[in-house]
Amino acid sequence: MTSCPHCGAELETPLGCGVCQVPLEVEGAVDPFTLLGIALSFSLDVEELRSRHLKISRWIHPDYFAASPELRALAETNTGLLNGALEALDEPLRRAECLLESRGGPSEAEVKDMPQAFLMEVLEWSETLDEARAAAAGSPEREAAFKLGPSLHDERAARIDTITALLDPLPATASEHLTTARHELNAVRYLDRALRELESLRLAEAEAR
Amino acid sequence: MGYIELNVLNNQSSLAMGIDLGTTNSLAAVWKDGRPVIVHPEGKSGSIPSVIHFPTDGSQLKIGREGRDHAAAAPERTLFSVKRLMGRPEADVQDELARVPFPTSEGEDGVLRVNVDGREFTPQELSALILNRVHDHGCRALNDEKPDRVVITVPAYFDDAQRQATRDAARLAGLDVLRIVNEPTAACLAYGLDQEKSGNVVVYDLGGGTFDVSVLSIADGVFKVLSTAGDTHLGGDDFDNALVGLIIDGLQGDLTEEELKDPGFLTAARLSAERCKHALSTDPQAELHMVLASRGVTFHRTVTRSEFEDLVRPLVERTIDSCRRALSDANLEPGDIDEVVMVGGSTRVPMVQAAVESFFGRIPHTELNPDEVVALGAAVQAHILIGGSRDMLLLDVIPLSLGLETVGGAISKLVMRNSTIPCSVTEGFTTYADNQTGIDFHVVQGEREMVSDCRSLAKFQLKGIPPMPAGMARVAVRFHVDADGLLTVSAREESTGASTRVEVEPMSGLSDEEVERMLLSSVEHAEEDFAVRRAADLVTEIGTMRTATERSLEGVREHLDRETLEDIEAALAASREADTGGTDAERLQAVRDELERATLPLAALLMDDVAKAALSGKRLEDV
Repeated sequence: MTSCPHCGAELETPLGCGVCQVPLEVEGAVDPFTLLGIALSFSLDVEELRSRHLKISRWIHPDYFAASPELRALAETNTGLLNGALEALDEPLRRAECLLESRGGPSEAEVKDMPQAFLMEVLEWSETLDEARAAAAGSPEREAAFKLGPSLHDERAARIDTITALLDPLPATASEHLTTARHELNAVRYLDRALRELESLRLAEAEAR
Repeated sequence: MGYIELNVLNNQSSLAMGIDLGTTNSLAAVWKDGRPVIVHPEGKSGSIPSVIHFPTDGSQLKIGREGRDHAAAAPERTLFSVKRLMGRPEADVQDELARVPFPTSEGEDGVLRVNVDGREFTPQELSALILNRVHDHGCRALNDEKPDRVVITVPAYFDDAQRQATRDAARLAGLDVLRIVNEPTAACLAYGLDQEKSGNVVVYDLGGGTFDVSVLSIADGVFKVLSTAGDTHLGGDDFDNALVGLIIDGLQGDLTEEELKDPGFLTAARLSAERCKHALSTDPQAELHMVLASRGVTFHRTVTRSEFEDLVRPLVERTIDSCRRALSDANLEPGDIDEVVMVGGSTRVPMVQAAVESFFGRIPHTELNPDEVVALGAAVQAHILIGGSRDMLLLDVIPLSLGLETVGGAISKLVMRNSTIPCSVTEGFTTYADNQTGIDFHVVQGEREMVSDCRSLAKFQLKGIPPMPAGMARVAVRFHVDADGLLTVSAREESTGASTRVEVEPMSGLSDEEVERMLLSSVEHAEEDFAVRRAADLVTEIGTMRTATERSLEGVREHLDRETLEDIEAALAASREADTGGTDAERLQAVRDELERATLPLAALLMDDVAKAALSGKRLEDV
């Protein structure tokens, strides 16, 4: 980590200096872990992540630089980067994406081959959800769909556990774990889509009542 | 040659004003002696109804209280709820336009225009008129100190275009917008909950026409909005309408369908309903009373509180549904909430308080005047922004996700809703055809999965990509949402080092040029324009009257008594003077009225055929 051009103090984040309490120019693209000044890891402490975010916000937030247009603009940019970094790491799924990217793992588009058994499972939910959507509120079809909810949530949690085991400790660059993690991540996306469907069904059901 | 010194830099006020630009009412507050206070001239309320009345005679616009006073008599010349039109294309506000008594159209810029007597007003200009009035009203209480730097609040769910429109309105009003803040966030600041508490707070804001609920977390002086939900068409007006329904049912036999839909009737009915509703907040029963003098019809009935509650229960339940949604978005249960803050006049309804208390399991804050809370909070934020104090930090979130259209009308979301702002996100895109040199981008805002269900913000094309095989170009698209929740998008082709950059603004919105033009041409002068036109009309009218008087006078001069004649001559002399460069409408009106008065005997003389015939040789007093 470099030091502050103003006071020479060691920087906790390239976004700004905690001693001078000013934003600093950031050069090039920096990964979210570095922006928040934390080590690359999947099982990070979310509370610590958020308190890091608040601490840095207090150094560089644009609200503190209303008097100087230049500093304000820089503060705006850097706080944007800081908040973008928090968004990327706060949620496990997106955090996994970040890790995969920084370790050179495959992207979502690069891994299309999902296991046959899983795809069959997906087809089954879709059918249940399609029928529920076409059916009236309070119908058995709707009930069947809502029963699907807990199992989908369980499966999602299990897959997130698998992802955690794969990414923690940090796998080596180009490790096979990265490809397996990608499969799991893609599966979670399917699950999330189904869960979103279910949620909108639930809202429709609530409105009907 | 001497120099004139202009004290441009030093006359900036050390104050900054917080303004709650509301759908129904607006008001302003400043930071004074260590706390926020509502600014209002002595003996007057700080609240300004967000109402504009356009008098038929083209005289000065009636804004605020005056406007509302005129509304009952002439609703067809009065605009309410302009805020609902802000930043929305015509197609999205059909329901609202049904309540706008003037013809409307949409400009090529996608901005709505309200046409009043051949003059076009954008919602931005109309809001600017209200902002101006609120600002002036506040300044009068500040010994004419003029804090031109302001913080303006908007509903949490306002999208990019609506926020942009609000900022443009402030610019048109000659104000310097330090920040646009979400209303519920401001409410939290007003209660100073950061001072003592650390935990989760819910702000329940039920205003005249809108409902919104926000979940915030507070820790170490940092406010963070976790989620927001709401209903753009739910508020005290709906409560009133429930009572208006009773009046309409009761008058079914006395008035025709047509009469029951008459805007004048409805306005009067709404006022009666509002009075009854207010009384029901303190009394177990109240009178719903309305007299329609013109039709000789009287409506009267007693409404009990429980009757009223049965009427509004579905409405209150809808607000609780929104609370449930906001909590679920924040991953919290009602039991996780430490404080509940009530905002908006409609939270005075006991049933609302009871429903909120029972859902969250705690007594909500009602210590501050619920109508003033938002403006007070805006003043707190204004104080933070100009004071540079780091004791408090407000972290707001963006209410709706932002994304780009991808294949088949689907959306790739770049900035998720409830992300803390300012926020920057960059995502990579590529070409799908060989030697493709341009990519079209369509920026949308909303939660739905398809573009057709979301709000279209902007379209732009990235050009100048060097020819290369499909999928080789690396285009980085950067979304930056600033602290006001306003979006800038830029795109850059990176693979060749050659970069192109495009900045976009909302599709339906005023361009900077348009704002400049309006600034120069109209809004600041909108009221004066009306006065000038009225003056011009008066000058013409006076001219016509004078010519007619002079012509008629010639024939009958000897038939008028000396006093009347002198009277007329004096009025004519005054009218000749008024002709030359008269722009003071009030004075011209006086001249016109005087001329009319003075010539009455003359007119009577000319009109009276019998007299005319008899007058062949007699003086007037001899007849």
